[in-house]
Amino acid sequence: MAAWLTPRRVRQWREYLTGYLMVAPAVLLIFVFGIFPVGFALFVSLHKWRLKRGDIIGLTNYTNAIGPLTYLLVFGLGVGLLVFAFVRTRHAVKENKEGGLRFLVLNVPGILLAGVALTFIRWTVLLLPNVLDIADKIRGVEKTRDLFMQLLQEAFTTETVLAARTTMFWFILAAFLAIAVTLYFWRTPKTLQLEFEFAVNWFLIGVGVILLVYVYGEMMTAYNTAVQTGEDPGFLPQLISIASGLILLFIGWKLWHRAEDQPSNLMFLLRLGAAMVFVVGGWIMIGELPVIVAAGDPDLWVGLRATLFYALGTIPFQLGISIFLAVLLFQNLRGSQMFRVMYFMPYVTPVVASAAVFRQLFSNRLQAPVNAGMRLLGLDPLQWLWEPKGIFQLAALKLGVTNFPEWAAGPSLALVVIMTFSIWVFVGYDTVIYMAGLGNIPRELGEAAEVDGASRWQVFRHITFPLLSPTTYFLTLISVIGTFKAFNHIWVMRLDAALGTTDTFSVVIFTEFFEKLRYGYASAMAFILFAIILALTFVNNKVQGSRVFYG
Amino acid sequence: MAKKSSASSTGVSRPSWLSTGHIFTYVVLCIGAVIAIFPFFWMISTSLMSLGEAQGTRLIPSAVHLENYANAWKEARFSLYMWNSVRITFITLAGELVVSILAAYAFARIKFPGRDVLFALLLSTLMIPAMVTIIPNFLTVTWLGRIGPIKWINNWPALTVPFMGNIFSIFLLRQFFIQIPDELFDSAQIDGAGHLRFLWSIVLPLSKAPLMVIIVLSFIGTWNALAWPLLVTNSPDWRPVSVGLYSFIDEAGQMINLMMAGAFIVIIPVLVLYFFTQKQFTESISRSGLKG
Repeated sequence: MAAWLTPRRVRQWREYLTGYLMVAPAVLLIFVFGIFPVGFALFVSLHKWRLKRGDIIGLTNYTNAIGPLTYLLVFGLGVGLLVFAFVRTRHAVKENKEGGLRFLVLNVPGILLAGVALTFIRWTVLLLPNVLDIADKIRGVEKTRDLFMQLLQEAFTTETVLAARTTMFWFILAAFLAIAVTLYFWRTPKTLQLEFEFAVNWFLIGVGVILLVYVYGEMMTAYNTAVQTGEDPGFLPQLISIASGLILLFIGWKLWHRAEDQPSNLMFLLRLGAAMVFVVGGWIMIGELPVIVAAGDPDLWVGLRATLFYALGTIPFQLGISIFLAVLLFQNLRGSQMFRVMYFMPYVTPVVASAAVFRQLFSNRLQAPVNAGMRLLGLDPLQWLWEPKGIFQLAALKLGVTNFPEWAAGPSLALVVIMTFSIWVFVGYDTVIYMAGLGNIPRELGEAAEVDGASRWQVFRHITFPLLSPTTYFLTLISVIGTFKAFNHIWVMRLDAALGTTDTFSVVIFTEFFEKLRYGYASAMAFILFAIILALTFVNNKVQGSRVFYG
Repeated sequence: MAKKSSASSTGVSRPSWLSTGHIFTYVVLCIGAVIAIFPFFWMISTSLMSLGEAQGTRLIPSAVHLENYANAWKEARFSLYMWNSVRITFITLAGELVVSILAAYAFARIKFPGRDVLFALLLSTLMIPAMVTIIPNFLTVTWLGRIGPIKWINNWPALTVPFMGNIFSIFLLRQFFIQIPDELFDSAQIDGAGHLRFLWSIVLPLSKAPLMVIIVLSFIGTWNALAWPLLVTNSPDWRPVSVGLYSFIDEAGQMINLMMAGAFIVIIPVLVLYFFTQKQFTESISRSGLKG
């Protein structure tokens, strides 16, 4: 008994306890308001939830938002999880060549641990509605501690929750036993580590399989209902076509990528040719996409389009202007500190206030500053933030073209004003970051080039700009993600007159939630936003590897 | 070498800022500065105009109407909103500092099982867009208010508690705490000081710079917040100044001079903070990579 209770052990346990106690408040807060909400949002998004919780409707919110594309995406997610688990397993096999039997046996506690995680999730999902209902039950009656505890106890002890808890307990017990047995036979720290690695793999596999089975069922149900009600069930072949198109594109891309390594020119050309065929074929098959997309929510697509315009219309300009300003400021001229302070001011200003100023600057009144300036220059005043028409369409109208195609109209003038505001705000920030990047470039490089007779432009083009690419990459990533998150200034500057052309993705979500009170639907949209941001980060990381030069 | 010679050669002939390249640079920089500053100039100038002038095309007021500020202050109920924002900032900051300092210290200097995994898990929440968490958090906060002894909606808890656990502040402090040499801790331990004592009397006095960064960022965050306060307040009792200004923009309608006075009132505290802590301010914001 006393053998393991050495003073050293006691001190160590006390140290652990201190650590846990010190992080406890932070972990609790971040868990409740940062991690749990992700699961909760998923839970909400699977419900019909208009202000109050309604029935579970599965993927309906998602199919309402992006049409049958949902099935393809969930399917892809499931396959992705399986592939990821496979890659991880292969990696583990490569790392641990020695233990054949041990390696296999350690999967047993791994499976059981994954089972614990899955049954725990199931238990929480069953418990959550009961706990949420407490708030309704407590309404109107006097709140007391006893009543709350009683209701809480009831929530935990309904039949389904109890059953789920029992399964979970069995899994926990079995996992404990399995871990104890394996630790008894192979008493190394590696054993436990491997078991947890396997647990993660099996958890991924479990979730992947559940997703695949579920989405297959949902898709078939949708297909059968469509057949029965006499609607067009064409979405299924379309989805298959798109999926195979994507696979073809992927193969084409791989071939293209490897073509450079080919030893002979003929092989190189053959590879390139094959890649072209695959890409074109894939592209044609993806051609079904617009049909599928049309089944979704037009608001969402308008929002996505506005976000795309916003990203394309702000990021290049913003980065271009700020790299220019940063290079100029970096010469450390007299007064450059003062310029820096001034450029940074828009970024510091509270957004609601500066957006309010821009709302007046770009007002549709004839006397508003920008319109007054336009008239001074002999131009016609414009509607600015009140203008839902696209800028190209407006330009065409000016030239007398009245039947300008809708799809080529471009971002609305109102959105362009908001984009201008965004550039105005973020140039200061980007400039400061670029100056920090310039500070990391050794001066000798530029000076050596100048000695060799390079012009200032050549120095910038061939030395400064490539060496700044990590900064450019960082700023691009931040700005792209920022575009999808953009909210405050758009919320202040959006006007009914602009007919929603200014609403980017985040704003569309917030209106669904805040104004239309469709919590379930808004959560589904928010999840789609999350997926897009994750995908962009992923792609960005891939691109970073090949394109960014870290001097 | 090259630098030295160029400096001496320009120094002999004429002042360096007079060369053609520099004149071009100054012209460009000035154009940029005018664009950056003009909205502020217009805001201040309009806020001093009479209503008629403000609606016209004048750039400079013919007479200074300082009473616009008094009127805007009264009509937009800024005394209440400012006080609310100050209270919210103060409560958030107090909670955030205690929580972050403790957690950052433990993550930096105490070894316990699962520490790094836990930290990585918390850091990964930075990836989650606010629109995903805003809906469930609203439901959670409503629920907590209904079952608990104090209400959350329209009260300080909903506006402050969710922001007290800020992983970014923890991250910032942890990076700083890690750099504190181990010898300091060892000698403190020999003198009989425990973790808390060491944290309080040695680590914190050394950490003024990162703490300042957190204070600045938290202040800006509260001052900028719009979506969340809009959601969780439905009366002026606890509404912060950003929401106050947002509703004032609609109420003021055509009274542009009052609106601009209101906007300037909201900007002043931030600008004052900016000009006084300018270096730290710029550094903290640019290091954070995120705002509001």
